[in-house]
Formats: sequence, C-alpha cells, structure tokens
Amino acid sequence: MTNPDRLTCEETFRRLDDFLDRELSEEEAHQVGGHLEDCARCATRFQFEAEVISAVREKLRRIQAPPDLRDRIAARLAEADEQGTGKKP
Amino acid sequence: MKGSQEQFESLLAPLLDLAFGMALNFTGNRADAEDLVQEAALRAFRGFETFRPGTNFKAWFFRILTNTFLSRRRRDKRRPVGVDLQEVPDLYLFHQTAAAGLHDRSSDPARLLLDKLGVEAVQKAVSDLPDEFRTVATLYFMEDFSYAEIAEVLEIPVGTVRSRIHRGRRLLQKRLWAVAEEEGIVRQLADGGDHDES
Repeated sequence: MTNPDRLTCEETFRRLDDFLDRELSEEEAHQVGGHLEDCARCATRFQFEAEVISAVREKLRRIQAPPDLRDRIAARLAEADEQGTGKKP
Repeated sequence: MKGSQEQFESLLAPLLDLAFGMALNFTGNRADAEDLVQEAALRAFRGFETFRPGTNFKAWFFRILTNTFLSRRRRDKRRPVGVDLQEVPDLYLFHQTAAAGLHDRSSDPARLLLDKLGVEAVQKAVSDLPDEFRTVATLYFMEDFSYAEIAEVLEIPVGTVRSRIHRGRRLLQKRLWAVAEEEGIVRQLADGGDHDES
C-alpha cells in the first residue's frame, strides 16, 4: 500500500541540498529522513554529499592567520588614529 | 580613542584565523589575503561607531570584509575565471569516485578522497570558483551561516544564496576532482595505494 506522505526517490533527491543545509521545514525534513531510513540507495548518496561538505569545512577551517597579523593590524589602526582618520568626529 | 581601539581589537582577535581563511579563499594568495584583512579591519574600525554592542560582531565584520573584497574586484577585473561555468551533473563526485572504483575500497569514499587533498588544494579549488559562487561558498563553508544570514551579509536575496550554494557545490566538486586527478591522487587511490581500515 502506498503511503501518501512518503516521498519518492526523485522527490527526496530534489530536497537533498536543503536537507543537508537544514533549510527544510521540520515536516519536510522528517519526510526526507523517513525515506532515507528505508532507502539505502538514497541514504548512500546523501551520506556521500554530507561527507564532502563536512570534509571541505574541516580543511578550510584549519587555515591559520600569520602570527604577526594581529600586531600589524594594531599598528595600522594606531597609525590611522594618530592621523585623525581612525574615527569620524 | 585608545579605549575603543582596544575594544575593537578584542572583538576582532578571536576572528582573525577565520577572517584570514575567508580572505584567502576570496583572493587565492596569502599576501593579498593579509592585505585584505588589514584593509577590512581599518574600514571596520573607522565605522566602529555604527556597530551596535550586543549585536553580531562577526557577521558585521564579515560583511565589511566581503564588501572590501568585492569593491577591490570591481577595480581589478583582470583575474581570470578558473572554472568553466557549464552545468555540472548532480552527484558529480559520487559518480566519479564510483567509476574510479573508490566505493569498493572504502565504506566512506568521500573521506578517502578528501583526506588525501591538502588544505591548500581545497582552498585553491574554492578560490578557483567564479566570484559570485566563491563569496557565497566561502561564507557557507567557513562559518555555519544559514542561507538567510549569508543573504544578509551579501545583501542579496535568500533565493539567490540558495541557488548559488547548490550550483557552487557542484562546481566545487568538479574542481576538487580535477585537482585530485592533477595531483595523481585518483590514480594512487584507484591502484590501491591507500586502504581504509574502517
């Protein structure tokens, strides 16, 4: 018997991006989650996409500023202050 | 005056790694990234009186950083686009890794591939995206901003953010795969040069 609330693979796939970004309504997210519990094929694809996003995030967040950047900014702000351009009157 | 500088610096200091990472994604090289963060900091300090204490300093500063980058880009249009803008099929990386046999080698083929790519390679793949995708993708990956928050930072409609994130992600997957091929990672993995213990 077909459940009218149940999404097809195609309907689920159309929601992939918004689901991964937590941009779906609670009800839609629940529907997608329900489909993924029952459909290994879609679950594998969603999991793959989620891992790509997560791995890219982890890599990019490892970037560190040069150690002296803070001092150089402070010097530049102080210089601007002395020139009277640091703040509007 | 000194007090406000100290206050400004204390708000900015915890964000510097993140701000530099964003600037590096925007500009594609460390020297320009440093310069961009410095210029954005100066602009932000000049406008610090418009910042309302208690509101989101991070979002406020990132908006200034992004706008500083975009206004520089408008002055300098010489930088070539590193990625072709043809449509990328859905699940591009999934299908490429499957065709290369990586799904038989690991229960987590996405990790298998991306663990082999260095930070610099991933950052370069983002930097190669065209401007409109790069700015959105940078905010998306570097911070857990929602579509609405990114729309607020960039002052563009939420629907535009959504479509750029979706398309930018596909463009990025294509670029990541190209980098992995260029660096010989795909061949190495396909030849069984790395095994997943999981």
